[in-house]
Amino acid sequence: MTTRRDLLKIGTVGAAAIGLGLPALTSAQAQAITSLDVFVPAAPGGGWDGTARAIEAAMRADGILSEFKFEHVGGAGGMVGLPRFINGKKGQANAIMIGGMVMVGAGIANKSPVTIADVTPIARLTGEALVIVVPAASPYKTIGDLTNALKANPKAVSWAGGSAGGSDHILVGMVAKSLGLDPRSMAYVAFAGGGPAQAALLGNQVGAGVSGYGEFEEQIKAGKLRALAMSSEGTQNGVKSLKEQGVNVVLYNWRGVFAAPGITTAQRDALVALIEKMVNGPAWKKTLETRNWDGIFLAGDKFGEFLKKDIGETAAILKDLGLAS
Amino acid sequence: MNTTKRSNIPHFCIGLGVLALGAVAAWQTSIIPQVLYATVGPSVFPSMITVFLLMLGTGLVVAAQRGGWAHDQDGTITEMGSLGFVVAGLVLNAALIDKIGFIIASTIMFTLVARGFGSEKWWRDALIGFFLAFGSYVGFDRVLGYKIGTGLIESLI
Amino acid sequence: MVESFNLLMMGFATALTPMNLLWALAGVTVGTAIGVLPGLGPGLTIALLLPITYKVDPTSAFILFAGIYYGAMYGGSTTSILINTPGESATIVTAMEGHKMAKKGRAGAALATAAVGSFVAGTIGTLGITFLAKPVVDLALKFGPAEYFSLMILCFVTVSAVLGSSALRGLTALALGLFFGLIGVDLQSGQARFTFGVLELLDGINVLIVAVGLFAVGETLHLAAQKKHKEEVLEVKGGVGMTRDDWKRSWKPWLRGTAFGFPIGAMPAGGAEIPTFLSYYTEKKLAKNPEEFGHGAIEGVAGPEAANNASAAGVLVPMLTLGLPTSATAAIMLSAFQSYGINPGPQLLTTQGQLVWTLIASLFIGNVMLLVLNLPLVGLWVKILKIPQPLLYGGILVFATIGTYGISRSVVDLVLLYVVGGLGFLMRRFDFPTSPVIIGMILGPMAEQEFRRAMTISDGSLLIFIQKPLSLALLLIAATAVLGPHIWRLVQRKRMIRTN
Repeated sequence: MTTRRDLLKIGTVGAAAIGLGLPALTSAQAQAITSLDVFVPAAPGGGWDGTARAIEAAMRADGILSEFKFEHVGGAGGMVGLPRFINGKKGQANAIMIGGMVMVGAGIANKSPVTIADVTPIARLTGEALVIVVPAASPYKTIGDLTNALKANPKAVSWAGGSAGGSDHILVGMVAKSLGLDPRSMAYVAFAGGGPAQAALLGNQVGAGVSGYGEFEEQIKAGKLRALAMSSEGTQNGVKSLKEQGVNVVLYNWRGVFAAPGITTAQRDALVALIEKMVNGPAWKKTLETRNWDGIFLAGDKFGEFLKKDIGETAAILKDLGLAS
Repeated sequence: MNTTKRSNIPHFCIGLGVLALGAVAAWQTSIIPQVLYATVGPSVFPSMITVFLLMLGTGLVVAAQRGGWAHDQDGTITEMGSLGFVVAGLVLNAALIDKIGFIIASTIMFTLVARGFGSEKWWRDALIGFFLAFGSYVGFDRVLGYKIGTGLIESLI
Repeated sequence: MVESFNLLMMGFATALTPMNLLWALAGVTVGTAIGVLPGLGPGLTIALLLPITYKVDPTSAFILFAGIYYGAMYGGSTTSILINTPGESATIVTAMEGHKMAKKGRAGAALATAAVGSFVAGTIGTLGITFLAKPVVDLALKFGPAEYFSLMILCFVTVSAVLGSSALRGLTALALGLFFGLIGVDLQSGQARFTFGVLELLDGINVLIVAVGLFAVGETLHLAAQKKHKEEVLEVKGGVGMTRDDWKRSWKPWLRGTAFGFPIGAMPAGGAEIPTFLSYYTEKKLAKNPEEFGHGAIEGVAGPEAANNASAAGVLVPMLTLGLPTSATAAIMLSAFQSYGINPGPQLLTTQGQLVWTLIASLFIGNVMLLVLNLPLVGLWVKILKIPQPLLYGGILVFATIGTYGISRSVVDLVLLYVVGGLGFLMRRFDFPTSPVIIGMILGPMAEQEFRRAMTISDGSLLIFIQKPLSLALLLIAATAVLGPHIWRLVQRKRMIRTN
C-alpha cells in the first residue's frame, strides 16, 4: 500500500493524468481505512498539534486505528501548510488536516490564493470560548463597568490579546461593534501569544485582556485576574456569557478536521464515520474533560455550511477592523 | 589612506547595492496597506529604515569615490574554480532536495564541496558524504523524529 | 528560606533515585547533542518528545525535559567556538570571540571557560529559582512595553562594541539586519511587510537561518575562495584546559554574565540573546585590554556563555511560579504539564510542590552532570579541528542543511540560507562586520513592537517613556554609556588645562 502511494507521489504529473481512473480503485478501499496521514499546518507543540495528538491517542485507546503518520508544516496561521496539503494529498482518501478558525482569518487577511474552502470539510471537533478579563486591581467589576467606560471613551481601556486579526482581536471588534462603537477605535495591543499577554495583565500594563479560557484559567482561579464574561452561548466555568449580560456576541475558537480535495463522496463519508466513531468513544469524551474543550461536534455537510457562514462573518469583521478590504 | 583619490569600483558597486536595497525598502514600504486606527502605523519603522539605508548607501558611494576603504584582511578571490565547486554544490542541493530527497542531494553537495577544498578522491568523498547523510537521516528522521522529508532512498528504508 | 531548603532536600530525595538519574542523564545527553547542531533547538526536541508523556510519569518526563533544556544551552557554544556556527541564537555572541580563540589555537580554553561558566551560571541561576523566585518575578512583571523599549535602546548602544573598524560599514550591517527583521506579518496591524508575495516569508525569517548562513556558509565560501586560508590548519596549543590566567580573567565575567542573564531571562519578553549582548558590551568596556576583543578575548566567551545559561534558569522562574511561558521552550513544557492534567499556574507550587521541587533538584543534578560530561568532551571536540578541511566543510554544510530544511522542509528556507551565505561571503570579502546584522535582526523588531505597544497604551504620548521610573532609569544608563566617555574626556581636558 505504501509503495503505491509513494509511486503516485513521485509521479505527481502522472498522477493527475491517471487521476480519472483512480477513484474506482480507491473507493473499494474507502470502507477500510487502516492508517491515517495526519497533516498539521503548524509547528509541533501548538494547539493544532495538541488536537492531532489527542485524536491519535483517543483512536489508539479505543482501538479504532493504530497507524498514524504525522507531518508538520507550520507558518502564517496555517497558510504555508495549506497549499502543501492541497497539492501533496489531492485525492488521497486517508489524509486528514487539522485546521480551525485561525485559518479562516489568516486566509482572508493574507489574501492567500488558496483558502480553507479548497479542502473537504469533515468535522468540527472542539471549540473554545474566549474570556474577557481584567487585572485583579482593576476598577471594573462587571462587564457593564467595562462597556460603560468604553462608551465614554473608547481609548480608555487598552486590550491585550494575540496577534492583530486573530480570534482575540476579532472578539474585541465584535464587542465594539455591538456597543455601537467603531471597532477601529479600540486600543488593541497585540502580543505574541497568551503568555506575554498574561504577563502584561499581571503587571497592570494594560486595562483588559482576551484569550481562550484555558489560557487564563489558573490566573482567574488564583484571583490574579477577574473574568468578566465568556464569549460562549451560555454560562461557562461559572462565568456568565456576554450574551447573557446584554452584549450580543458569541464566538468560539473552533478546531476541526479536513480531508484532501478531490476525494469521492464515499471516501469522505468513510472519514466522517471514522471521526464520528472516535467522538462517541469513551477516550475522546475523557480528553474533552481533561483538556477543558467544548465538544461542539458538527459533521459533514452541516460543518460545510457552518464553515461558509463563518468565512463570510470573519471577512466582514476583519473589514470593520480595517484589516481586510 | 589612499592618496591617489581614484574611485574604487568594487566599493562603488557595494554603495550602489545598499542604495538599491534602500530603494527596494522604499518600494515595499509604499505597498504596506495603511491601517487607519493604529497610533503608530505599520509603515513608520520601515520608512525610518529606508532613510537609514539610503543615507548609508550614499556614505559608501562617497567613500568609494574617495578611494574606498582599507581592508583589515585580504579577501581577494584567488581560487575561482574552488569557489565554483562549492557554489555548484549548494545550488544543486537546493534544486534537488525536494525531488530526489535529502540523502542523495546532500551527498552530491558534500562531494562537490570537498572537491572545492582540494580533495581529489571523488569516490571516497562521495562514500563518506553518503554515509554521513544516511546516518544523519536515520538518526534524526527515524530515531529523534525530526522529519527530513522523503526521496528516492528515504522511501526504501 | 528554611522551608525552601527543606522542600529542596525532599526534591533531591526523589531526583536521586537511580531511575530519575538515568532520565536526567538521557536528557542532558540529548540536549547537548541537539544543542551542538545548528538550527535544532530544545523547544522542537521537547515538542517531538511530547508523546512520551503518555508513557512515563510526570516527574521523569520533566527531569528529561529540563535536562534537554539545560543541555542545549551547554551544547550550543561548542560549534560556535570550533567552526563559527552558532547552534542556538543565544550563542551567536560566543562565536565572535570564541572562534577567534580557536583560530589562535585556544579552542580548548574557550570550550572550558564556556563549560565552567555555564556550570557556574546554571548553578547560581538554579539557586535563584530556589530562593529568589518571588522578588525576581515581581521585578520582571514591572517591565511593560515602555520599559522594554528603553531596554532595547540600551541594547542598541551595545552595538558599538561590535561595529569593527568603521562605523559606516558596521552601521550598514546593522541596517541590513533591521531590514531582515521587518520581513513578515506585522503583529500590531496584521499586515504583511516586505514579503514580496512569498507565503513562506509571512512568519518572518528565522534568526538562526541568517546566523548559520552568515557565519557557517559565508565562512565556507570565504575559505574556498582563498588558497592561503585553505592551507591554514588550526592547531591546538597549550593543552585543552584553562591556564591560571584564564581562570583569573574568567571568573568575574561569569558572575556578571549571570547577573544579566537571570533577571532578563525571567522577564516575559527578555529572552536569552539580550543578556549576551549586554554582557559582551560590558566585558569589552571593563577589560584591561579592550583591543584584544575581536581577536579572541576570553572574557568575551566567559561572560556571554554564563549569561545565556543563567537566562535559561531565569525563564523557569515565571513558568514555575506563575505558569507563564516566556520562551517557546517553556510554552512547550507547559503543554506537557497540561497533558498530565496538571494546570500550571500561580498555584503550581502548592498543588504540585513535590513535582516542582524534584524538577528544581534535578536541575542542580543536571548541571553537575553537564560539567562532568562536557569537560572531558573538550578534548574530543577539539579533535574536530583535525578533520581534513574538505570533509569538515562538506560536513558543516550537510548539518546546516538538516538544521534548516529538516525543520521546515521548505526549499525557500534553504535558498535563503545560501543567499545569506553569499552575502556573508561578500561581507567578509569587503571587510564588513557580520555580527551587527544579527543584533539588528533581533533588536529591531522587538524595539518596534514594544514602542508601538507603549504608544497604543499611552494613546500616542511619548511621555510614557520618562514617566515610568524604570524606563527613565534605563534611558539614563543608555545616555551615560554613550555620552559618559565624552564628558569624562572633557573634564580631563579641563583639568589638564587648569594644571598647565
